[in-house]
Amino acid sequence: MSFGGAELVIALPKGRMMADSYQAFARAGLRLPEARGERDLWHGDGQLAVLELRGADVPTYVDLGIADVGVVGRDILLEAGRDLYEPVDLGFGVCRLSLIRLPDDETPIRRIASKYPRFTQAWLRSRGMVADVVKLHGNVELAALVGLADAVVDVVQTGSTLKAAGLVEVEVLAQSSARLVVNKSALKLKRDVIRPLIDKLRQQKP
Amino acid sequence: MIPEGTRYYLPPEAAARLELEGRWRELFGSWGYEPVQLPALEVYDPAHPLAERAFKMVDKSGRVLALRAEFTTAVIRMVNGEKLNDRLYRFQYAGNLWLRDSEVGLGRLREFAQVGVEAVGASSPRLDAELLELAWEALKTADLPDARLEVGLPALVADLLAATELEEEKRRLLQAAIERKNTPELAELLAGFGVEGELARAVLALPDLYGGPEALAAARRLALGPAAKSDLDWLEAVLELLPAGLEVLLDFGLARAYDYYSGIHFRAYTPDFGLPLLGGGRYDGAGAEYAAGFALGLERVLEARGLPGSPAAPEALALDPETARQLRAEGLQVELAWTDDIEELKAYARRRGIGRIVGQAGEVAL
Repeated sequence: MSFGGAELVIALPKGRMMADSYQAFARAGLRLPEARGERDLWHGDGQLAVLELRGADVPTYVDLGIADVGVVGRDILLEAGRDLYEPVDLGFGVCRLSLIRLPDDETPIRRIASKYPRFTQAWLRSRGMVADVVKLHGNVELAALVGLADAVVDVVQTGSTLKAAGLVEVEVLAQSSARLVVNKSALKLKRDVIRPLIDKLRQQKP
Repeated sequence: MIPEGTRYYLPPEAAARLELEGRWRELFGSWGYEPVQLPALEVYDPAHPLAERAFKMVDKSGRVLALRAEFTTAVIRMVNGEKLNDRLYRFQYAGNLWLRDSEVGLGRLREFAQVGVEAVGASSPRLDAELLELAWEALKTADLPDARLEVGLPALVADLLAATELEEEKRRLLQAAIERKNTPELAELLAGFGVEGELARAVLALPDLYGGPEALAAARRLALGPAAKSDLDWLEAVLELLPAGLEVLLDFGLARAYDYYSGIHFRAYTPDFGLPLLGGGRYDGAGAEYAAGFALGLERVLEARGLPGSPAAPEALALDPETARQLRAEGLQVELAWTDDIEELKAYARRRGIGRIVGQAGEVAL
């Protein structure tokens, strides 16, 4: 693609994970171009280009080969269902996807709210359960509190938010952390750059 | 309105599609691959590899039909149905395929076209090498000289996983992790399933065994059983038969459909395009005793190559049929005037970029 003829295009999620990624890449010997201005959609220095994206969009950019590599949480990968390589667990952004309910609620689950509808459906199927899945975009816990759904599947980091909301984590469905993802074609055709990067990122794993 | 994932192909794109298909057909023909044509409507079979993803419909007798979702299975069905099992057959095909659920995006459609070949009835490293060389020629024919073929050996993955003696479900989890080169998860799974020692190290090494000839040397150093060793011998024999200049990439972590490919599996990539351009391999025993082939994605290849420029306008507009015939006989591309209104014709010629208007009396000044 274009991006000033960059040799390697890197898709990163906005926010905390972006800062962690910059550090991890720097430790691996790859200094990513700094953001020049608030409104830049991408940052480039000729060699490298960084695309600043919503996390959920990272798998799409990498799958279609617009970006060669990316960083994204495993929770998002599980939801995206894209055909990517995910060779490195970067160790940061640790969280879990959990089933969340009101305390002592043991009624059958008929409706689940989640930002992860695809993952939730797959989990329900694997348990032989049938329930409606409602896709929400934020404040998912509220759905359980106000009765929009009788359970919620969402990301849990420390659990303190849940506790404050008076909800309980019934079951951990999947563990997540940041992953390096690589486009299938790029891994092979740009392996002179990407292979050493993978090796170094693996070495620095905590 | 047309459904999502389908497209109209206008000039000049439609012409480019036909032209490329024609080039490939000619190439395959010159290698002895004879054209076959297959029905787009198939009887639904739950055992079809893409059964879930195919479009289905019910015919007048209540029988469930499926739209063709893949060519290989269709060709194998034809071979079995017509009992074409007395010798080696080389077939080529071209046509549309349909999938219900394809993620729509660059080069991904729900109605798409493939052009490909199948060699049914024999199995040898020579045939595999022939298919790889033909795939390479097809990419050059499509003006993609920088495209690289990548060869994997799913049979090796299958044989290594069989050596773990785990049940099928666990092997599938390992296979999925290998296919995604998800080494962290693969290590966790192996430990969880109690696979240890040399075998675990060999399985764990698979995702990273990709690249040039050095990957083959590294694969040789793994602790392999007799079945896995003979898979590697076969691959090595194939690679030795390839012509000078055809340097394939290797990836021993290609584990997709490892229970389907009995030997090699290959794809092709071109720089700055993220999706594979073709796919193929050997699938002895998957429906026919011996079969191998590959298919090129027409939309993918055209997308990778870049769309053609503006449509070529005809060279002349003839005012009467006789003039048109004469000019065509001279080899020109000629449109016939549909009216006597010379001003309207001039305006049309200017809009289309047609350089000449010619009648019995000679050239008309534009």
